[in-house]
Amino acid sequence: MTDTSIDMEPFHLQFPFTRTLGSTLSTFFSALAEGQIIGVRIGDRVVAPPMEYDPETGADAGSEWVKVGPKGTVSTWTWVSEPTRLHPLQEPFAFAFITLDGADTPMIHAVKATEDQLAAGLRVEAQFKSGDEVNGRIDDLVFVPASDPSPSEGAGEPYEAPAEPEVQTMDAYCDLVYVDNFAPATREWADALMNARLFGRRCPKCNRMVIGANPMCSVDGVLLGDGEVVELQGTGVVSNFTIVTPTPYPGQKETEPFVRCSIMIDGADAVIGQQEIIGIPASEVRVGMRVAIEWAPEGERNVDDLGNGNHGATAGAVRGWRPTGEPDEPAENYVERMM
Amino acid sequence: MPRTENDIAIVGFAQSPMLRRSEHTEAEMMLPTVQGAIKMAGLNKEDIGFTVSGSCDYLSGRAFSFVANVDAYGAWPPISESHVEMDGAWALYEAFVHLLLGHVDTALAAGVGKNSNSDPTTLYTIEVDPYYLTPLGADPWSLAALQYRALLDAGKVTERDVAEVVARNLANAKDNINAQVSADLSVDEILAQPYVRNPLRKSDLPPVTDGCAAVVLARGKKAYDLCERPVWITGIDHRVEPHLPTLRRDLTVSESTRLAAEGAGVHNGPIDVAEIYAPFSFQELIIRESLGLSDDTVVNASGGAQGANPVMVTGLLRIIEAAKAIMEGGKNRALAHATSGPCLQQNLVCILEGDE
Repeated sequence: MTDTSIDMEPFHLQFPFTRTLGSTLSTFFSALAEGQIIGVRIGDRVVAPPMEYDPETGADAGSEWVKVGPKGTVSTWTWVSEPTRLHPLQEPFAFAFITLDGADTPMIHAVKATEDQLAAGLRVEAQFKSGDEVNGRIDDLVFVPASDPSPSEGAGEPYEAPAEPEVQTMDAYCDLVYVDNFAPATREWADALMNARLFGRRCPKCNRMVIGANPMCSVDGVLLGDGEVVELQGTGVVSNFTIVTPTPYPGQKETEPFVRCSIMIDGADAVIGQQEIIGIPASEVRVGMRVAIEWAPEGERNVDDLGNGNHGATAGAVRGWRPTGEPDEPAENYVERMM
Repeated sequence: MPRTENDIAIVGFAQSPMLRRSEHTEAEMMLPTVQGAIKMAGLNKEDIGFTVSGSCDYLSGRAFSFVANVDAYGAWPPISESHVEMDGAWALYEAFVHLLLGHVDTALAAGVGKNSNSDPTTLYTIEVDPYYLTPLGADPWSLAALQYRALLDAGKVTERDVAEVVARNLANAKDNINAQVSADLSVDEILAQPYVRNPLRKSDLPPVTDGCAAVVLARGKKAYDLCERPVWITGIDHRVEPHLPTLRRDLTVSESTRLAAEGAGVHNGPIDVAEIYAPFSFQELIIRESLGLSDDTVVNASGGAQGANPVMVTGLLRIIEAAKAIMEGGKNRALAHATSGPCLQQNLVCILEGDE
C-alpha cells in the first residue's frame, strides 16, 4: 500500500518535442553543424548568436550574416562546481559570456577549463563535436582555453548562407522531476478508500455535499473540516458518461472502446468522475442508471494513482460500478450538476 | 491632494504561512488567504468586482493548478476573473488597470506558488531561450552568478558589500513574523561559506518557499468606506528587457527598473521605506542604485526575499510589506519593487502613499 504520510514518489514530467527553427535559426544551426559560427549584422553591431529581430527596436534583423569565432574572449564567468544533469558537461566547468571574434554581443556557453584559468579577458576557442554527435544544436560545441590567443582567421567576413539550410528543426526533450506530498484531505480520502469507505463534506453555507479529496466548497469559497464529514453508501446514479475510443499514448492501457462515467453518489451534490461501469457493454450505459460500487478485494486494493485535488478519484481501490437493475432515475434530474 | 474616483488604494491584504513545504495544494493555500484579505477589507466574496491571480503550474507540476485555484474564490455565481503566469505583483497591476476602467470599484489580486515540489536549478531551464540556453541547462544560479561576477569586475561592489546585504536581511527577518528564514550571521561567517556558483554563495540564494498572498484594492470613495487609512497606489509601472541576458548593454545596471521607477513617479517625493525583490542578494544593490534611492530610505525591513521567496508571490509580498508600513507603521510614502525572469529581466515599481 502507498504510504500517504510521506512525500509521493517522484513524478517525471517528460515530453519530447520538435521545434521548427525559422530562417535565422536554421541558418545559424546549419552553419554550426559544419563547424562555422555566425552572427547577423544589425545596425552597427554584429549580434552572435543571431536574432530574428533587433533586440532594441524589434525591427527585422535581416540576413546580413557574418562569420564569427571560433575564438573569443570571456567577459564574465561563473564556476559550476557541481553540474546538474542538464548541463552540457558532467564535470566541474564554467559558464561564461564569450564575445566571439567579429561579434559585438556575447553568447552564453560552457567553458571546459580549470577554475584558476578563468578570468575576464581569457581567450577561448570552440571545440566542436564530430560525426554522429553533431545535431545542429547549441550544445554541438563547448569552449576551451585557446591554444593560441591570436585573432580568429576569417572572423568578421560575410557568410554566404545556402538557399535551403539543412537543419530546419531542433529536437528537444523536457525532463523535469517533481516530488509532491499528499495533502491532508488526500490522505483522509486514501485511508477511506483503503477501508472501502466513501465520504463527503457538507458545506455549512449552501448545504451542498462535495465528495472526495477536496476540502472546500468551490461555490462558497469555504474550507470544510472534519466536522462536515458525512459517511456515504456506495450507491448512486450515472449522471453523465462518454465512450472513449483509445488512441495509443504512453501510459494508455486500454485497447478497446470503454466507458467513463460521472456518478452522483446518493446524498452527495458533486459527482465523482472518471468511473468505470462493469457488467454491461458500453453501449447500454444510460444517464439515470442506478449503480453500486464494487471495491477491489483487500490485498489488491490500492491508491497508487491517487493525486491531490481529486485526481484519480478512486484510483486502484475500486473495480467499478455495477448496475443494480433498479428502475432508472429521470435523466433530466442530472443536468446542471457540479463536475 | 484630494483623492478622486481615479485613485486606487490597497484596503486589505493577507498572506499564508511561508513554509519550506506546505502540505497543502495551491488551491488550499489560497482559500484562507484570499478570503482573509476580503474579510480584512470588510467585504464578502460577492462584493469583489474583479479577481486576478499570478501562478505557474510548472512550479507544482500539476497541470491546470491555476484552474483548480479558482475554487478558492467561491466562483459561483460566475465571477469576472483573470490569471497571469507571473508574480502576483503583475496580477495587482492588472487589477489596478481594470479598476481604472471605472466599471467596478473593488478588485482582488493574489499570487500563489507551491515551489517545494520542483528543483529550481533544473526547472527554470525551460524559462530561458529554448534554442540558445535551454539545451545548455542554463540555470538561474549560473545566470545570476554571471551577473554578480560582472558587478564585481566593474568594481561597483565587493563580496563583503554583498555579505552585508545578506547579514542585514537575515537579521531583519527575525522581526518579521511571516519570514521563513532568519539568522544572526556575521559578515565573516557569510564570507566563509562555500560558493555554489562562484562568486555566488549558498547564503546569496533565496530560500525555497511555499506560500500565497492576496490584496484587495478599492477605488475612490469606496476605499474610504472600507479602510481607515487606505494605501493609495500613486504610481505603478513595469518594463521588460531582452530575454537573453547577453543582449543587454550592461548587466550591472537595471535599465528597466530605472524606467519603471521614473514612470511610477519615484522622484516626486522622499521614499520612507522600500521593499525590493532581489531573488539573489547582490541584486538588491543593483536595484537600489537603479531606483535612485537616498541613504535615508529604509530598505527591506522585512528581510526581503531572503526571509521567504515563494516564487509568484514574493513581489506581491513586497507590496504588502510596503503597504503595512503606511497602514500600520505610520509611514507616508513607500516603494515596492518586483522582478521576474533571469538576471532581473523584468521589473515593476509601485509607489504607495498614505493621506497626510
